[in-house]
Amino acid sequence: MTISAERETEVAYPDPTPPSAGWFQTLPARPGWLSQHLGTAVIGAVLGYLLGHWLGNVIASGYTYVANSGTNSIANTGGIAFGALGWMIGIGALNYPLAKMVGKEPAPEFETTSWTKYFRYTADHKVVGLQYVIGVLLFLFTGGLLAMAIRTELLTPTSHVFGPGTYIAIVSEHGTMMMMMATSVVVGPLGNWLVPLMIGARRTAFPRIEAFSFWVFSAGYIVILTALPYGGFPTGWTGYAPLQTQAGGGMISYLAGFALIGMGMMAAGFNLAVTIINYRAPGMTWSRVPIFVWSILATCALLTLATPTLVAAGIFGILDHTAQTAFYVTEHGGSSYLWQNLFWFFGHPEVYIMALPGFGIAAEILPVFTRKPLFAYKVAAAGMVGVALLSFFVWQHHLFQSGINPDMRPLFMLTTELISIPTGFIFLVGMGTLYKAKIRFEVPMLFVLALFFNFLIGGVTGVFLSDVPVNVTVHGGFFVLSHFHYTIMGGLIFAFFGGLYFWLPKMTGKTMNKKLGQIHFWLMFIFFNLTFFPMFLIGLLGQPRRVFEYQQNLQAFNDFSSVSAFILGASFLVFVANFAWSIFIRPTPSPANPWDSLGLEWQTANPVPYYNFERIPVVLTDPYHYSETDAPAVADLGDPVLVGVAAPAAADGPPDTDPVKHETPPE
Amino acid sequence: MTDTTSIPERTTVYSDTPEEREFELRAAVTSYWTGGRLFIAMFTFLLASLAFAYFYLRSANNGQLWRPNNMTAPTGIGWAIEFTVVASALIAIYGQMRMRRGNVLDWEVAGWTAVLGGLVAMGLQIWQLTQLPFFPGASGYASCFIGWAVMNIVMLFAGTYWLETNLARSLRMRSTAGPGGPGQLAMSAPGQIFRANVSACTYFWGFMAVGSTLFWVMFYLI
Amino acid sequence: MTDAATQPDAAGPGPSGPAHSGKGEPRHFVRMVAIWLVLSLVAVPLFYFLVGPHVPPGTMTSTAEENQFDFNILMVIALPVLIGVWVYLGYCIVTWRASKGGPDPVGGARARTHLGVQTAWIAITSFIVLFLAGFGTFELITTNGAGGGEGPNPVWTPTAAHILPVQVIGQQWAFTYRYPTFGGFESKQLIVPVDTTIAFHVTSLDVIHSFWAYQLSIKADANPQIDNVAFTTTNHTGGFTVRCSELCGLWHGAMYNYGQVVPKQAFETWATTTERATAANTKLLPPFAWTYVPDANGADGGYYNDTVVPYSPSEVYGAKQPAS
Repeated sequence: MTISAERETEVAYPDPTPPSAGWFQTLPARPGWLSQHLGTAVIGAVLGYLLGHWLGNVIASGYTYVANSGTNSIANTGGIAFGALGWMIGIGALNYPLAKMVGKEPAPEFETTSWTKYFRYTADHKVVGLQYVIGVLLFLFTGGLLAMAIRTELLTPTSHVFGPGTYIAIVSEHGTMMMMMATSVVVGPLGNWLVPLMIGARRTAFPRIEAFSFWVFSAGYIVILTALPYGGFPTGWTGYAPLQTQAGGGMISYLAGFALIGMGMMAAGFNLAVTIINYRAPGMTWSRVPIFVWSILATCALLTLATPTLVAAGIFGILDHTAQTAFYVTEHGGSSYLWQNLFWFFGHPEVYIMALPGFGIAAEILPVFTRKPLFAYKVAAAGMVGVALLSFFVWQHHLFQSGINPDMRPLFMLTTELISIPTGFIFLVGMGTLYKAKIRFEVPMLFVLALFFNFLIGGVTGVFLSDVPVNVTVHGGFFVLSHFHYTIMGGLIFAFFGGLYFWLPKMTGKTMNKKLGQIHFWLMFIFFNLTFFPMFLIGLLGQPRRVFEYQQNLQAFNDFSSVSAFILGASFLVFVANFAWSIFIRPTPSPANPWDSLGLEWQTANPVPYYNFERIPVVLTDPYHYSETDAPAVADLGDPVLVGVAAPAAADGPPDTDPVKHETPPE
Repeated sequence: MTDTTSIPERTTVYSDTPEEREFELRAAVTSYWTGGRLFIAMFTFLLASLAFAYFYLRSANNGQLWRPNNMTAPTGIGWAIEFTVVASALIAIYGQMRMRRGNVLDWEVAGWTAVLGGLVAMGLQIWQLTQLPFFPGASGYASCFIGWAVMNIVMLFAGTYWLETNLARSLRMRSTAGPGGPGQLAMSAPGQIFRANVSACTYFWGFMAVGSTLFWVMFYLI
Repeated sequence: MTDAATQPDAAGPGPSGPAHSGKGEPRHFVRMVAIWLVLSLVAVPLFYFLVGPHVPPGTMTSTAEENQFDFNILMVIALPVLIGVWVYLGYCIVTWRASKGGPDPVGGARARTHLGVQTAWIAITSFIVLFLAGFGTFELITTNGAGGGEGPNPVWTPTAAHILPVQVIGQQWAFTYRYPTFGGFESKQLIVPVDTTIAFHVTSLDVIHSFWAYQLSIKADANPQIDNVAFTTTNHTGGFTVRCSELCGLWHGAMYNYGQVVPKQAFETWATTTERATAANTKLLPPFAWTYVPDANGADGGYYNDTVVPYSPSEVYGAKQPAS
C-alpha cells in the first residue's frame, strides 16, 4: 500500500461536525493554576481521604470487633479508596468519563509546549512516558533507602538499630515498593514512550487509558507509603495469610496499594497490547517488529491476564479485613493456601513481567553497538512469547515445601525447568550478535553486557531453586533472595538504566554526561555483585530471609554485603547528579541520532514533534540491517512538510548505513 | 557514519492525507475489536480466580466449614438477578443485531432497556447483601458469595456504564448529524468507530450473561 | 568440530563457520572452546572433590546427603555453563572491541540466523534441562520427599519398619515438639535418635511458619490445621539448628532453637525420663492430635457468644475456662 505524497491542506477535524468540548472537558489542559494538575490531585486526595475515613468511622466504629481491636479497617479502606478517587478526580481523569455519560466526544488533542504538561493528565504518550520516568525513579529510590535501612540493621546480629516491628515494616515496605516499581519500570517509561514510535504510529490506541495508568500508579505509590504511618504491615511483599489476617491497619495499605498498582498495570498493558496489534505502520509485518516491541507485547499479555488474579486476591483480603469474610482463615472454612495459590499464580508471571522488558532492551541495544544485525531474531521473539505462555504454569515452585499436594511437585519442577529453555534464548541472541562484531563500549552497552553477566548467575541459580531436593536447603533464605535480586535488579534494573542512557537523548533532546555515566556503571556493577554474591553463601550457610538476628559466624559476610550495599546506593546518586545536571541544570542538546541507530524511533527530529511522524512511515524491513551492503532502507518516511522550512538535504553518507529513504520533493 | 544532521527541522503543523486518515480509522476500529476481547479476557481471569477460590475451598472443606447446613444465599433474589442480567444481555444483543441492519432506534430502545436492567440487577445485588441469612465469615461458601457479589456489582457497573455512554453518544451524534443526515453520519469515521464500540460492548454483555449464569449455578443450584 | 554435545552453551560457529575463517584470521570458536575446556576441566573436579563434601547441608541424615549430592551435580553442570558463557563474553569483548581496529563486521543473512547454531543451542539446553527435571524427580522419590514437607497425604513414604513420629508445633514465636509414641509429652528441645527414620509432622497454631532443621535437611511449612509431613533418616550424631524460614511476624528473626541427634539408647532414656517427669504437665495439655483448632470460647476475644456451640466439631485447644 502506498501512501500518496499528495497532501491536502490541513484539516482541522475529519468528521461532519466538530465536537464542542465544554469547559469541563478542557479543564485538565487549561493553562495556569485554575485548571487540573498535580496540585489539585493532592487536594482531591486529601479531601477524599478525610471523607472516606470519616465515613468508615461513622459506619464501623460501633462494631464489636473494631472496638475490641482498636483498628478500624473499614475506615482505613474508606480513606484510601476515597483518597485514590479524589486523586483521580483532582487530576482530571474522570472528566471525560463523566462527559461521555452525556454523549460528549473527546476534546480534540493539541500540543502544549508548556512545561506544565508534565504535571497534568495528558493524552500524549511521550509526556506520559517522561512522567513515568520520574515516577519510577522516585519509587526506586524510596525502596532503595529502605534497603539501606535493612542493611544497616543487618550489620550486627545482636545489636539492633530498629525494633522488631519497625524492622519488619521496613522489610515489607522495601519489598513491596520495589516489586510495584519493577512491574512498570520499563513498560511505563520506555514502553509508553517508545512503542508508538517504533511501530510508526502517531499515538497509542487509548491515550486516556495510558494517562490513567500513570496517575493510578502514582496513587498506588502514595498508598503504599501510607502503610508506614499506619504502623506498617508484617507480611513481607508476599502477604501470606493468616499473618495478613492478623495484621493491623497497615495491611490495608498493602492490599489497596496492590489493587491500585494492579489497575495501573492492567491499563498500561491493555493500551500497549492493543496499540502494538493494531497501530503498526503499513508494511510492518510481525517479522519486522523491533524486538523491544515483541518483549513489550509478551509483557502486556502477562500484565493484562495475570494481574486480575492479584486484584481478586486483594479484594478477598480486603473483604477479610472489612466485611469479616473468611477467605484466608482456615478455622472458618477458608484456607491459607488459597492466598498462596492466588498470589503466586499472579506472582510468577509478575517476575516475567520484570524479566522480559529487560531482555527486550538488551536485544534492541546490542545491534547498535555491535554494528551487526540481531542474531536469531525469530528465536528471540518466539522465546519471549514462550516465556510468557509458560509462566502461567510454574507458580507452585514457590510452594514446594508448603504442604501442597506432593504429586504437584515433579510437575512444577518440570515446567520450571522447561521455562529456562526460552529464557536462555536471550543468551543465544546476545552471544550470536557479539560474534565478530565491532563493539563500542558506550554507557548503554556497558549496562547491557552487565545484564548478560548478572542474569546468567541469576538464571542458573534459578535452576538450582527449581530442583526440589536442593530447594529444601535454599528456599526461604538468602540464597533465593540473592537469586531474585540477581535476576530482577541485575537483569531488569541494569537494562532499565541502559535503556535510559540510550533513549534519554531522544526523549529529552539532551545528552547525558558520559564520564558520570561510566562512573555510575562501574560503581553499580562492581558493588552490586559484591553485595549480592556473598548472599548466596549466607543463604547456603543457613540464614533465613527477613530476619534481624542471625548466626554470629555469618557477621563477616553480612558486613561485607552491607558496606557494598551502601556504595551501591551511592552509585545511584551519581546517576541522579548526571540526570539533574544534563537534563535540567546545564543541558547540552543532543543530535537526533547520537548512537547511529537504524531504529525507526531515531528517524525523527529532536525534539520529537507531538504527532511523531510527518507522514505515517511505510515500513520496508526490520531495523537490524547493520553492516549489510545494499541493505534496504528501514522505512519510507514520505515527504517532509515544506511549510516554512528549508528543503531537506538529499541523503548523504554511505548507502549501507542510510536508514531512511527521502523522496525528492517536487520543485 | 550516518549523516544525522540532514534530518531537517519540522514544523509543528499536523496534517494528514486521505490514506493516512483511512489507515488510522481502520486502526481505531480494529482496536475496539481487539480491546473488547482483551477486556473480556481480563474479566475472565478475574472471575476464574473467584471460581478457583470456590472449588478450592469446597474441596478443602477446612473444619467442615465449607457449607454447613447447606446454607444458601437468598435464592429468590438470586434468580431475579440472574434473569434480569440474562434478559438484559439478550435484549442488548438483539438491539445490536437490529442496528447492524440499519435500525438504530430499535437499538436505542433495547439499549436503554438493558441499561435499566443492569441498574436493577446492581440494585438487587446490593439489596441481597443486606438480606443474607448468614454471617460473612460463617463458612467458605459465605465468603465466596460475598466475593461474588462484589465482583458482580463491579462487572455490571462496567457493562452498564459502557452501554449507557454509547447510548448517550448515539443521541448526541444524531442531533449534530450534519447536512447528510444519519446516512453520512453512519459512514463517517466517528460512525464506524461508534459501531465498533457498540459491537465490543455487546460482546461484553454476552460475556456478563455467561459469567452470571455460571456463578448462579455455583451458588444456587449445586 | 569437536563434540558439540558436551558444550552446553557455546554459541556455535557464527556466520562463516570455524573452518572458513578469513585469510590469516584466527579460529575464534576453536580458541573459545579450548579455553572453556581447560577451565572447566580444572574447575569441575576442583569443586566436586574439594568443596563438594563440605557443601551444605552436610551429611547428618539421608536427606542431607542426597541434597548435598544433588547440589553438587547441579554445580557440576552449572560450572561449565557459567564458564562457557563468561569465556565467550570475555573473548568477544577482548577480541572484537571497536578500539582495537580489525575487520568490519559482516551483516546479511548469515549474520542474522544460522540454523545449525540455533538448533544445537535449543537441543543442548533442552537436554540439560530435561535431564535435570528427571534427575530431580528421581532424587525426590528415592529420598522419600527429600526432606520437604509433603502435606497431610505424603506420596513417597519410607518403607522402614519403625518410623518415629515427632510433631513439630510452630507458634508465634517458638517451636515445640511432641512425641506421640511417648505419651504425647511436649518438649522445647528437639532430640532424635540416630539411625532412625523419622516422620516430622509439622503444624502451626496461628500463622504460617516453616520448620527448617538445617543439618537434618528438613524444611516443612507449618500451616494452621494442616499436618505437613516430612521424612528423613538420621545417619550421624551431632547438633543441629532449627530456624523458622517463613515470615511469621515480629519475632520471626528470633525464632530458632537447637536440637541434637543422639545414640538410640540415650534417646530412649531421655524420652522415657521426660515422659515420666512431665506427666502432670501433659495432662493439662490438649490431647495429642495432628492439628489443633482454637475453640470458640478461648481464642476469639469475645466475638462469638459463649453460649453458642462452636461451629467446628474438630478438636478444641486450650484448657477449660475456670468458672468465673
